[in-house]
Amino acid sequence: MAPAILVGTRKGLFVLRGDENRRKWTVDEPMLAGWEVFHATEHDGTLYAAANNFVYGATVQRSTDGGRTWERSEGLGLPEETELTLEKTWHVEPGQGDTLWLGAAPGALFHSDDRGESWEPVMSLIQHPTRERWNPGAGGMCTHSIQVHPTDPKTIYIGISAAGVFRSDDGGETWAPKNKGTAADFNEDDRFPELGQCVHKVLLHPEQEGRLWQQNHCGVYRTDDKGENWERLEDNGLPSSFGFPIAINHLKPDMAFVIPEDSVRGSEGEVGGGDRVTTGGRLGVYRTEDGGRSWELASNGLPDPAWVEVLREGMSSDRRDPVGIYFGTKSGSVFVSTDEGDEWMEAARHLPAVLSVEAAEW
Amino acid sequence: MDGGRAPPAGSAFGRSRRVVTVRVPGLLADQAGGRKEFDVEAADVRGALEALPVRDLLFDERGELRPLVNVYVDREDIRSGDGIETALSGDETIRVVAAIAGG
Repeated sequence: MAPAILVGTRKGLFVLRGDENRRKWTVDEPMLAGWEVFHATEHDGTLYAAANNFVYGATVQRSTDGGRTWERSEGLGLPEETELTLEKTWHVEPGQGDTLWLGAAPGALFHSDDRGESWEPVMSLIQHPTRERWNPGAGGMCTHSIQVHPTDPKTIYIGISAAGVFRSDDGGETWAPKNKGTAADFNEDDRFPELGQCVHKVLLHPEQEGRLWQQNHCGVYRTDDKGENWERLEDNGLPSSFGFPIAINHLKPDMAFVIPEDSVRGSEGEVGGGDRVTTGGRLGVYRTEDGGRSWELASNGLPDPAWVEVLREGMSSDRRDPVGIYFGTKSGSVFVSTDEGDEWMEAARHLPAVLSVEAAEW
Repeated sequence: MDGGRAPPAGSAFGRSRRVVTVRVPGLLADQAGGRKEFDVEAADVRGALEALPVRDLLFDERGELRPLVNVYVDREDIRSGDGIETALSGDETIRVVAAIAGG
């Protein structure tokens, strides 16, 4: 098995293949021409891509032969009683065994127990009693984050913009909002509602029980009790509370990486999201090593000045030692660090706009 | 009658089913195993498109033709006829064309 990066773009899926040191990368010819790949992942030798086309709709593409041939999920859609139709597919997350989860818009979740041959809508979420209080973010009402507990697959976390974080303790039969402590600064009437927060990305730490990280429209957060309480983190060292992706270190639960966007923070309570380019005219990755109490710039090797965008699915980390951190930009570059962000190298450039980055073993 | 084509048959709606040719653009052809042209039996445009192996890309889960899919019957936009229910008399060529938009 060799390191690889699955790079979803506006114009298909690219696979970057690395050497064992993750220092030299080659770019394969694109797959899935004509499809916008919102996210791609590999599970037990099968590739899955959340693929969208502005004319022909949303689907999941699946390849069991390393990307030589692909099979489309037909019949993916929402039941008539929901009065909803499928808009986009956003994220494919492997569970245990043959199980997969698919996040989609509008605020939808699908489940497969046959390795993606068929998908069933998760009606408990799609018809959640709080749904009328959900609102779409600028990218639609997307279910973009799905995190399955590594040893207890009945515990599942999802993030929906802008409905917030939900947790299921029973394998998806019921879902409870878990947003206590996360702000909705755009909601002047209630800045800390039960739900409706604009969560941008949620990651579960695979080793430290109960710990999750979140980049939100309104802040960076950590929880140590399975989402019961979230602590806002960005006051010490981050230039902006706004951003989309977040990455973690599977070996060090206190380490995380974010890429702030928007202007330098102004007055208290300011709602971010006005600029949506990297803060301060530089491509700044910020790293914490103490659970978010402090952040430092970790951008050696990254372009400066730079005004770029990194989307919510645009950052990933691998399970190697030391950890590899990867991210891609809407201007078509992919950057890699294998020393916890001390140095970055550009693994590819001049790709189409990068929508997603996922570390894989090939 | 063309050799190899099935004879027209009556439809549930009383229309005769005719053999027509449907041509699809590149992405749909990719999704259909490389085929760009299909001879199908159908009484109307909906029936012709629903006979394709890429029907799910043309119609949403409610059976509505996706709004950026343009369909022409012998070069005439079906919107100038009866839309997706436009009747076929046989031997027409149907072209599916994606709207030109986006980037």
